[in-house]
Amino acid sequence: MLRLARNDDMLAKILILLTRGWQKGPSKVLPPSCRFQPSCSAYAITALGRYGALKGGWLALKRIFRCHPWGGQGLDPVP
Amino acid sequence: MNDNRNMLLAIVLSAFVLIGWSLLSDKFFPTPPPQTHKVENGKVQPTPAPVTEAGSPKGGPEPLRPRELVLGETPRLKIETPQLTGSINLKGARFDDLDLVTQRETIKKDSPPVRLLSPARAKDSYFAQFGWSGQGVAVPDANSLWTASAPTLVPGQPVTLSWSNPTGQRFELILSVDDGYMFTVKQRVVNGGSNAVGLRTYGLASRSAKSPDPSTWTNHVGPMSFLADKADYSVDWDTLDENKAGVTRDSRGGWLGFTDKYWLTALIPADGAPVEASFRKSESGAYQADFAGSQFVAAPGQAVTSEARLFAGAKEKKFLDRYENEGITKLSKSIDWGWFEWFMRPIFNLLTWLFSVLGNFGLAIISLTFIVRLILFPIADKQFKSMAGMRKVQPKMKALQERYKDDKPKLQQEMLKLYQEEKINPAAGCLPILLQIPIFYALYKVLMVSVEMRHQPFYLWIKDLSAPDPLTPVNLFGLLPFTPPGFLAIGVLPILLGITMWIQFKLNPQQMDPVQQQIFSFMPWILMFVMAPFAAGLQLYWVVSNLLTIAQQTWLYKRYDMHLSDTHPVKT
Repeated sequence: MLRLARNDDMLAKILILLTRGWQKGPSKVLPPSCRFQPSCSAYAITALGRYGALKGGWLALKRIFRCHPWGGQGLDPVP
Repeated sequence: MNDNRNMLLAIVLSAFVLIGWSLLSDKFFPTPPPQTHKVENGKVQPTPAPVTEAGSPKGGPEPLRPRELVLGETPRLKIETPQLTGSINLKGARFDDLDLVTQRETIKKDSPPVRLLSPARAKDSYFAQFGWSGQGVAVPDANSLWTASAPTLVPGQPVTLSWSNPTGQRFELILSVDDGYMFTVKQRVVNGGSNAVGLRTYGLASRSAKSPDPSTWTNHVGPMSFLADKADYSVDWDTLDENKAGVTRDSRGGWLGFTDKYWLTALIPADGAPVEASFRKSESGAYQADFAGSQFVAAPGQAVTSEARLFAGAKEKKFLDRYENEGITKLSKSIDWGWFEWFMRPIFNLLTWLFSVLGNFGLAIISLTFIVRLILFPIADKQFKSMAGMRKVQPKMKALQERYKDDKPKLQQEMLKLYQEEKINPAAGCLPILLQIPIFYALYKVLMVSVEMRHQPFYLWIKDLSAPDPLTPVNLFGLLPFTPPGFLAIGVLPILLGITMWIQFKLNPQQMDPVQQQIFSFMPWILMFVMAPFAAGLQLYWVVSNLLTIAQQTWLYKRYDMHLSDTHPVKT
């Protein structure tokens, strides 16, 4: 169980790093498209930090799948 | 001042991308070979003869000799099918002479067919054979002379090769071929002797030269297998160069062989049969793929038969799918689809269906572009609708901007609240953007791997959609007698791509900050350079896609009675 938790922790760190890479790279160049606050990437970083790779990743994925013209909008912080 | 700095930043970034790209692209993205490219011009290896279990030629390297001469030296069984011509060497029972008659080396009218297999000691030797190994029993080897039951192998009429040893064991290879690229080899041994014999069957493929096609991050070329329920694209020529022991794997059924970008030679043991398969580099320097079946005993008077198959031909999807339906495990994995296979297959099927209906691959690509834009249309429409709604709340926005002009975070929050109340939002969200990345990548990959696009013409000057646009204004469309260096060889299509993309970005309704605006006015011209060495089919896709987007945006501006000035507010 402990090993599982440690792996989850590692994965979360890697995912956070990837998300930061997205923020610094592609996201800088692309036109602003955020319907929510915080943005999907900021949301993902918070969620991964707070809940780990599995649950945090799931929350972030759910958020991205809401982030389209028929999805919601506005203030939507990590629970 | 600030503007200048941003401009400078944009230029530096662009230069970085431009130079960095040319360094990276060779490594990561394969560009199609030029139209004059010949499949044959791989490296010449001094000794193509491999070390085989069936006995190796002794002695040092022998010089290469002309192919025609080598073919004339030994008796041969001719192969004639709608897809293949060639012959099987009756000395050693080798598949070592095979041309793909429906594929040409170049797009020239008098171009010879693509040559897949060539005999040992000729240039680019590449062959396959099936046989037996055994202890205490004479088995046929590379020098055994076989007797054929007919002079020619044609679809539907199997030919039996036979060879007997002095102790009474008769070995038979019952060969058949279909109208595609598949040979079936029944290996039969009849023990007419007085003692039981222990034997193992084997199959091997050997090629003296690496493929002239580059192996890349996005498309593997070289040794390839599907063994133990797993496709393996990780074995490279280099792996075998460096590792003398090679790579060995136990499997039940599966296949292994060598692949070029478009061609494949694969050994296919009987489905579910336990085999020991391996890739290695032989002492003569040839690359070898082989498999050995499990040991069996043939009692006196007993006949033992096993079956194997050989695929030798183009990786045309219709054939690969057909053979999979006929029970060959995952032969379609010989196309290195990558992670997005589930997504690319439907696109590929749609594209080939459009091709069969329209008869021109370029038209098929254009139709595919229409379909993709149509699917993505509701997103753009919704966005414009939302922006039209923005105008109604303009007074409220102004009021907010006035009230919170010194508190930006607060202003942003209030604006989001306003959007929420009015159920509008100028932003489309990140999902549409993320969605388009796999779509474009899938198209890129499909156009990259499909032999179906090879040598397919479009109209006017495009004679081969799988090669870069050959017509370049840099040398005045060929009027000036020089070939521009690769960096500058920009065809007409990539230039159109740059122009259409620039216009498209101008019509982009999203609001951007100045840095982004500058990047966006630069990007089309960078992409023009980046896309220049790619297949004309891909360039065509992108140009048509841009034109459709321009038409769509213009129409949407009209539909929602908006003007460029509505979406591009003058910044102060």
